[in-house]
Amino acid sequence: MRKFYTLLTLNLGSQMTAEIGEIRLPVSEAFYISIQNVRRRFTRVAITTASVTLGIAFFVSLMMMASFQAQTGGTGIQPYMYWLLFISLLVCGVGITNSMLIAVAERYKEIGTYKCLGALDRHILEMFLIEAMLVGGIGGTSGYIIGLVAAIVYAFANPAVGITTAFSSLTQPNPAVPLAGTMPVALGLLLLGIGIAVLLSLIATLYPAYYAARLNPADALRYEI
Amino acid sequence: MALRYEYTVETEDLAKYYKMGVYIVKALDGVNLKIRRGEYVSIMGPSGAGKTTLFNMIGGLDRPTRGKVYIDEVDISKLDAYELAWLRARKIGYIFQTFNLIPVLSAMENVMLPMIFAGVRREERIRRARELLERVGLGERLYHRPTELSGGQQQRVAIARALANDPAIILADEPTGNLDLQTGLEIINLMRQLNKEKGVTIVTATHDLKMIDVSDRIIYLRDGKVERIETRAEIAVEAEEF
Ligand SMILES: Nc1ncnc2c1ncn2[C@@H]1O[C@H](COP(=O)(O)OP(=O)(O)OP(=O)(O)O)[C@@H](O)[C@H]1O
Ligand SMILES: [Mg+2]
Repeated sequence: MRKFYTLLTLNLGSQMTAEIGEIRLPVSEAFYISIQNVRRRFTRVAITTASVTLGIAFFVSLMMMASFQAQTGGTGIQPYMYWLLFISLLVCGVGITNSMLIAVAERYKEIGTYKCLGALDRHILEMFLIEAMLVGGIGGTSGYIIGLVAAIVYAFANPAVGITTAFSSLTQPNPAVPLAGTMPVALGLLLLGIGIAVLLSLIATLYPAYYAARLNPADALRYEI
Repeated sequence: MALRYEYTVETEDLAKYYKMGVYIVKALDGVNLKIRRGEYVSIMGPSGAGKTTLFNMIGGLDRPTRGKVYIDEVDISKLDAYELAWLRARKIGYIFQTFNLIPVLSAMENVMLPMIFAGVRREERIRRARELLERVGLGERLYHRPTELSGGQQQRVAIARALANDPAIILADEPTGNLDLQTGLEIINLMRQLNKEKGVTIVTATHDLKMIDVSDRIIYLRDGKVERIETRAEIAVEAEEF
């Protein structure tokens, strides 16, 4: 029997076992597992999400306040603000990476277990990236709400702007808003805020997820917390 | 399963060395084993003897420094990452001292996980997971999460999960290590019953002397080498002499 296999190996290379079939993890199942991870590890996810929320809240409130000012003849969105936003999002991204690296370390043994059950590297990668998307979506949405509230409070407290100006400028497009200049400001910033949050979270999670995916199962299982 | 093989596991001059600075730790050093289909084998030895290392090599979780491992006559060193994942999903069931259930998933979902990787249809997954959990005595705990189960119950879920894809072999690394005497005994008996019922080969690494009674053979490992092998018949003879 051994000789038989050796022959096959010579002829077919890695297809030596006709028996070997498919391994898969449907996206719907990966999604389900990631959602469970987000639900059940709420504290950990909340910490990661907080980073996104703050970054997006800053972005949204800054853009809205500048839009209000543009309406009242003020300076509007200034070039230096983009720099400010870029730096704030960068800081937020580093925060996500840091938090996700800890999440990976906490789950070494779990990652080893998934691999024992048949997971491929890319399945582990997929699970973490879906989780990142969820974190981005949640963080983007909550960041938008906080930013919106902050901008309205600002308009309310500032007699030079006032609540009426705020609402009218939120429902009109502001061409100075990047990418979403043709949409009403409130809607444009919602889409942009969530979009940036998801993208940022994905990029920031790439390294931790890749690291997790590459773990050797024997090493991952040895790890004790 | 199309083919039946005489030996589920064979190792040839299997060795694993770890480099620790200038030191070399010989965790395994030239192990030759043949484990028959359907056998229940215990691997005993003091701490550091190389039991977990052997378990990792046979389970395709790590690559040996030297030598070969055959699972159902396939040389697993020749498999690529994809084929190894398939082997782990379909041919091997793993049981650990620390249970290693996925904490965010229920008992049912844990048992279904290997079947997802193997591409089993959803209805079939549910049917089979329920059947297995009922078989290990957890019919009433299908939707509990690991934190809501006792250690013994968690290990039963792990056993059901290990059997999910009808593997050729179950590897259990100190399955009773975290359990009290009575619960440990129940787990050992359950594994022995399943071994007989399903004909699945079981290899356990253990310190647990209770394991001796149910084993067909006991392999004593020391310093990465096989010290001696006792078969059931010999154990029975020894027992009579007392
Ligand atoms: N990843 C590693 N790096 C370095 N040394 C290792 C590694 N894994 C195991 N060893 C060493 O190899 C030897 C065998 O370890 P192994 O874990 O196989 O023992 P064991 O028989 O399972 O012990 P125990 O009963 O305590 O679980 C030990 O000396 C250990 O220190
Ligand atoms: Mg060990």
